[in-house]
Amino acid sequence: MTAPLKQFGEADWYETDLPPILRPQRPRPLRALAIVALVLFSGSLIGISSAYFIIERERPLMAVRIGPWETYPYAGTAEADPYSVAIYTRGAKIPLASGEGVDLVARTDSAGDTLLPMCRYRIHGQTPTARLWTLTATNGSGRLVETMPGRSNLTSRQLLREPDGEFEVIASTTPQPGNWLPLAASPFSAEGLRFNLRLYDAPVSTGSALKGVAMPVIDRIDCL
Amino acid sequence: MISSRLPRPNAPLPGFARFRGARRGVSGKLIVGLLAVLSLAAVVHILVVLTIPQNATHSAYSNAARFGPDRAFNLLPDVVPGAEPLPGLDPAMKHALCRYQLDDGPVLFNASIPVPFWSMGLFNTRGDTVYSLNNRTAGSETLSMLVLTTEQLSILRENPPENLDELIVIETEDTEGFALLRAYVPHPSEAKKVGKALQAASCGLLK
Repeated sequence: MTAPLKQFGEADWYETDLPPILRPQRPRPLRALAIVALVLFSGSLIGISSAYFIIERERPLMAVRIGPWETYPYAGTAEADPYSVAIYTRGAKIPLASGEGVDLVARTDSAGDTLLPMCRYRIHGQTPTARLWTLTATNGSGRLVETMPGRSNLTSRQLLREPDGEFEVIASTTPQPGNWLPLAASPFSAEGLRFNLRLYDAPVSTGSALKGVAMPVIDRIDCL
Repeated sequence: MISSRLPRPNAPLPGFARFRGARRGVSGKLIVGLLAVLSLAAVVHILVVLTIPQNATHSAYSNAARFGPDRAFNLLPDVVPGAEPLPGLDPAMKHALCRYQLDDGPVLFNASIPVPFWSMGLFNTRGDTVYSLNNRTAGSETLSMLVLTTEQLSILRENPPENLDELIVIETEDTEGFALLRAYVPHPSEAKKVGKALQAASCGLLK
């Protein structure tokens, strides 16, 4: 009998001083079950779909960005984060190891716009020092696509250069004078565009050394 | 009966009080429910990301078995659109792959590839890089490398082969793995020659 005396005696006996969450409630098993099921379902759905979208984007964490170019120095090593590990094992990808070279990917041009296979791009400037490098055009998921001449890459050894060592590459579906990087022959059925620059035997193979090096600039010329 | 209808002094009307309490209860329950959903989503997300490597049915290591027998360099088909042997390979290169299990004994790699650039990476079953080198860091035109476990190395030290100082010796804890050899093809006319040199590369037992 420690309950405080009510001001009006028994007149307000139906009102309690308990906060709503502690008030006795009529058990509603079906409702409770439905709420638990809803929480379980939506929680699993959000968890699985967010994991799926992050893995499907195929962009490992801890990227080093130089202009539009990105590289993942830790992907495919023992120091990789769990997302990179999941992306690489799920895709059965074999990374370019640090003793072999550096793999740089561009998904946007230098202005930050997403690369499109129906556009023409001018890739110019210079690359970090490397014994050999190759520039490859793939679709948005990194797969090669059919092009008019049958190749979809350029290598540093076939390149025409300006007297100061800089180069200019035109990436286009149709043939171009100079250095031509062929893009998808049927650009409207190709899914996205990526440029892949692989620097073989480059002294800048570690992530920190890549900061601040000169990388080629990607400019959009025009679109179909 | 009359006294029960009298309002309490300094207190809101009973009906209003009940309404406010009910509203706070609903929004509180909603917040609790959302928190439950979000924390469950976070747990599921982390579990999914962490279990993908164990559940991946086609790892690079298991894919490597498609190209031929273990403990031999198998030349991969050319990297062409629609028929890439493995994802993310460079079309300017020719590749050869050798899968090995160190339980059968140490692996001796020997290769001599007459191209301006070649490189080799050793990967474990998870696809992590164990070791990598290219033809400049290999120190000579030919590759000769020995991969073994710590126990095999201590056995080997007791009775070393005479050319041990010419070998690159890699000690590893990963008993299963594969080696990927990449060779640059300077011109399509040389593709056959490079392919032959890659196939001639050995990935065998130490004699």
